[in-house]
Amino acid sequence: MSILTYNGGAMLAMKGDGCVSIAADKRYGIQMQTVGTNFQKIFEMGPHLYVGLPGLATDTQTVMEKIRFRKNLYELRENRKISPKVMASMLSNMLYEKRFGPFFVEPIVAGLDPVTYEPFICNMDLIGCINKPDEFVVGGTASAQLYGMCESVWEPNLGPDDLFETTSQALMNAFDRDAISGWGAVVYIIEKDKVTIKDLKTRMD
Amino acid sequence: MTSILCPEIPNAGFSFENCKRNTLLQSKGLSLPKATKTGTTIVGIQIKDGIVLGADTRATEDTTVADKNCEKIHYIAPNIYCCGAGTAADTEMSTQMISSQLALHSLYTNRQVRVCTANMMLKQYLFRYQGYIGAALILGGVDSTGPHLYQIYPHGSTDKLPFTTMGSGSLAAMAVFESRWKPDMEETEGIQLVRDAIAAGIFNDLGSGSNVDICVIRKSGVDYKRTYEEANKKGTRQNSYRYPRGATAVLSTKIQNIEIETTVQHIEPMDTA
Amino acid sequence: MATERYSFSLTTFSPSGKLVQIEYALAAVAAGAPSVGIKASNGIVIATENKHKSILYEEHSVHKVEMVTDHIGMVYSGMGPDYRLLVKQARKMAQQYYLVYREPIPTVQLVQRVAAVMQEYTQSGGVRPFGVSLLICGWDNNRPYLFQCDPSGAYFAWKATAMGKNYINGKQFLEKRFSEDLELDDAVHTAILTLKESFEGQLTADNIEVGICDQNGFRRLEPSHVKDYLANIP
Repeated sequence: MSILTYNGGAMLAMKGDGCVSIAADKRYGIQMQTVGTNFQKIFEMGPHLYVGLPGLATDTQTVMEKIRFRKNLYELRENRKISPKVMASMLSNMLYEKRFGPFFVEPIVAGLDPVTYEPFICNMDLIGCINKPDEFVVGGTASAQLYGMCESVWEPNLGPDDLFETTSQALMNAFDRDAISGWGAVVYIIEKDKVTIKDLKTRMD
Repeated sequence: MTSILCPEIPNAGFSFENCKRNTLLQSKGLSLPKATKTGTTIVGIQIKDGIVLGADTRATEDTTVADKNCEKIHYIAPNIYCCGAGTAADTEMSTQMISSQLALHSLYTNRQVRVCTANMMLKQYLFRYQGYIGAALILGGVDSTGPHLYQIYPHGSTDKLPFTTMGSGSLAAMAVFESRWKPDMEETEGIQLVRDAIAAGIFNDLGSGSNVDICVIRKSGVDYKRTYEEANKKGTRQNSYRYPRGATAVLSTKIQNIEIETTVQHIEPMDTA
Repeated sequence: MATERYSFSLTTFSPSGKLVQIEYALAAVAAGAPSVGIKASNGIVIATENKHKSILYEEHSVHKVEMVTDHIGMVYSGMGPDYRLLVKQARKMAQQYYLVYREPIPTVQLVQRVAAVMQEYTQSGGVRPFGVSLLICGWDNNRPYLFQCDPSGAYFAWKATAMGKNYINGKQFLEKRFSEDLELDDAVHTAILTLKESFEGQLTADNIEVGICDQNGFRRLEPSHVKDYLANIP
């Protein structure tokens, strides 16, 4: 078993028309044993910016603390909100610094630019190689299933409501085929004037 | 720069603080995950008074395609570009770092940097890490002494060649070059040859795929043709698989409103008197 | 600061609460060659005198106006060797910022960091303060910026200012000449006029240096270009 699959978890982010979504399951397990069903792995890093950290749970939390520290310092120093692009570069650099002893997380950054409100999504591998597609990004143990779901259900220019359905269904149908993720899910729809956070009713097995 | 007075500047270089923990985890039977590889076919040729670089755009994580359209031709200096194969993060970061050092070098010396300088810096950097930084590079550029093309291995050995290929698709691409490359080719002919070599990689090597990127470097300037050719067009979808609204069962909803700062500008009527 | 003997700061308070070392540093600046900076509506100009003591001197080989990164440049009044160290540091900091955030460093950030270095030299052991004041100009955020950094580590944002020899006259001259809607070309003209105020002898393209910064970035003007501006000056 790989270290990345020790705790399990599934995550994805999608681009819509003037909005982005990011969603994850809520399971916290130790290998095949489920320990908790309310584990947070998506973190608010600004009004329009969310970072998801699927992977080894201990590193999820450590990396979150580290980037929150760096983000806060950046915002105090520069007296402006951090943009998703800058957040991604900062995070990528932080992970690459540990190239030879990495954190076991494969982060996803989703948000709107604080000035232009342009949608931004990206993911990276555990040593910080950024991948910035125009459609969607996935991460976690159900990534193979998520790729399959997203490739078939994602379409361009989805509005916030349709983006929610697409994201939720892609996530739920994917993690139903992954034994170590699921047990509840949370979806964030980020728009210019609001963020909608929805808890989903899912299978609990 | 790091001092007691400016503690916010972190130490430079790699950090090994997780290594002990990670080896422990590994010894407990958990395997270390794999980083994204570029798979890759990358090529470069010398043409008449110039260089043509080419690359595919597929990145793989084990056997999964992690990125369908990634950028493998990296900027080094205004007159130098570099194709990267191997561990994706390594090629990205080492080219960025050398690019930054060369920018400083160019400011210090008030000159355009030379390709041999970039080559030297890259090879010394890679040699220092004994091959653990998995970057296989093709470096090409034009400077005051003409066009140059280098091939750099992860361990730091380099070759100066008229044409070269690297990555998992290098054999397929080299077959094209070996049969068709000749000295002093014209630009259009060179681009066609590079395209064919990359296409050979895309279609015959499973680690390479998607599109062809081409970068032409001449004394007069650089022509970076990102997505020169979409070798594999995605078919148009016949049906929409959109879920109807309300298909997802929601337990709870929370809405966070965001105050957006808008400035209302009062416009004075034009004085027409 | 390896040896114990000199590990105390040379900049210490006088009984009256002054840091005389810093005042001496400012005196070194005020004795240095004059330099000017003016912010125009569409860019910034920085200029300085580069007068040579002998006709044997090879002109245009050592520059005073330097580029830090594509969109930021700087110039100084005071001691040349100290300046070069700061230029080197500033360039490094700009590159470092770009590597981490993949975004060009905002001028304000660079100024703050350079100022932090200068401040550090007023409080560290075994070192003396820098004998230079800097003028840093930059274009980002779609607008021009002009800052002055002093040996103490203090920095100021200016619309226009003068430093070095005769800076009081220079500032007075600028106060009369400056207007908010100055165009870059006029600003270059005004900058050269300000230098001319205190210049002993004939201004030529070989004894002044001019740098301009606008939305296309920073560049040092070629002597031939400076000559064109000088032609319009009585």
